[in-house]
Amino acid sequence: MTAAFSLQNVTKRYRDQLALDDVTCSCEPGVVFALLGENGAGKTTAIKILLGLVDPTAGESSVLGLDSRRDSLEIRHRVGYVPDQPALYEWMTVDELGWFVGGFYPPGYQRHYNELVEHFELPPGRRIKELSRGMRAKVSLSVAMAHRPQLLILDEPTSGLDPMVRREFLESMVDIAAQGRTVILASHQIAEVERVADIVAILRHGKLVLLERLDALKDHVCEMTVTLRNGVPDLPNVPGTVLHRELKGRQWRLLVRNIDESQFDGFRVAENIRSVEVRRPSLEEIFVGYMKGEPAPEAPHELPTL
Amino acid sequence: MFVHVDPSNGIAIYDQIVRQVKFAVASDALKPGNLVPSVRELARDLTVNPNTVARAYRELQADNVLQPLRGTGLEITASAPKKCLADRAALIRSRLRSVLAEARQSGLAADEIRNLTEEELARIEPQRDPS
Repeated sequence: MTAAFSLQNVTKRYRDQLALDDVTCSCEPGVVFALLGENGAGKTTAIKILLGLVDPTAGESSVLGLDSRRDSLEIRHRVGYVPDQPALYEWMTVDELGWFVGGFYPPGYQRHYNELVEHFELPPGRRIKELSRGMRAKVSLSVAMAHRPQLLILDEPTSGLDPMVRREFLESMVDIAAQGRTVILASHQIAEVERVADIVAILRHGKLVLLERLDALKDHVCEMTVTLRNGVPDLPNVPGTVLHRELKGRQWRLLVRNIDESQFDGFRVAENIRSVEVRRPSLEEIFVGYMKGEPAPEAPHELPTL
Repeated sequence: MFVHVDPSNGIAIYDQIVRQVKFAVASDALKPGNLVPSVRELARDLTVNPNTVARAYRELQADNVLQPLRGTGLEITASAPKKCLADRAALIRSRLRSVLAEARQSGLAADEIRNLTEEELARIEPQRDPS
């Protein structure tokens, strides 16, 4: 099966700034792939490289089996893209925009565009410049979806939008995934990502620090609060990989993955330990742990097959 | 059956769905022969990824709680209630275990914990539905 997209050892340097640092990841079709990271972590750069809008300094990039550099035009034809700040023709009406953009696509585009406009309850005769922010976002989504793309790329599509519009975006993503198509979602709305993502990737300073199925991630990571008996803040060997640790008084808070159950009981009753509380953190807490943690705690994990 | 999903709960969403279907069966809200919503319907309803719902349904099929019904969908099996009651008991046992561990760690003696348990049981007992 052809991967929906693939980045192979991709590095991008802007002058002295390293935007992407040897990033390798790919994903099979029919998946909602979430890309998380702080502002400036390289999310938008990665998306632009995939679309062939920006050339990588090194490495290979492909989308739907097409080379990003060579076949950029064909890729943009097959992919739907909602940029974070959509540039639309302000003077056109909603209707006219669909007619105009439809000219670049095979027949059927405009009909589906009109269905989407109706579905999102957009005013067909109103000019783009007179639309609210939420409406503009929905126009942009309609433009990106009207040719029924195999891959939909959303770059922070819902930042600054009200909850109802965000909900409609989420529902659209769910529909697309239900049809076996692929979605790449770059977002800061971690709670939304947690609802819809199959796979989560985290970029930090241009490096890929996490690439994993969301359900596996949640199964494998836990938060431990360890209370020590006396003032020495030494922590016995933790049975697992510590992603992040923080000491407050006599308590350690640890974000740990792959706890070794067989050693955990021994850890719980270790000499200096008074109590251990274990809970399952949310994706947001895991994300923060990866962001604050020591850089590159371990190599990104191999993706198991779906 | 109403399913409620809390994405930021540490429990994976598919697992939340599995548990709630089992609890619905255990409490008789879903009976053998009842159909569960389609993957797409439930995914839309909860705005969660359809693959997540599909995974939950696969687990429920592997556990013999659901079975396909001649191309129309998935139905609750005849053996589901027994299985779901057992699973619910197991889940309650594990919750009880963690509460007991917490009680022990807080320094309560075993007898004190027994007394507390008895007191709390006595408190809810009279309110219990006789059926």
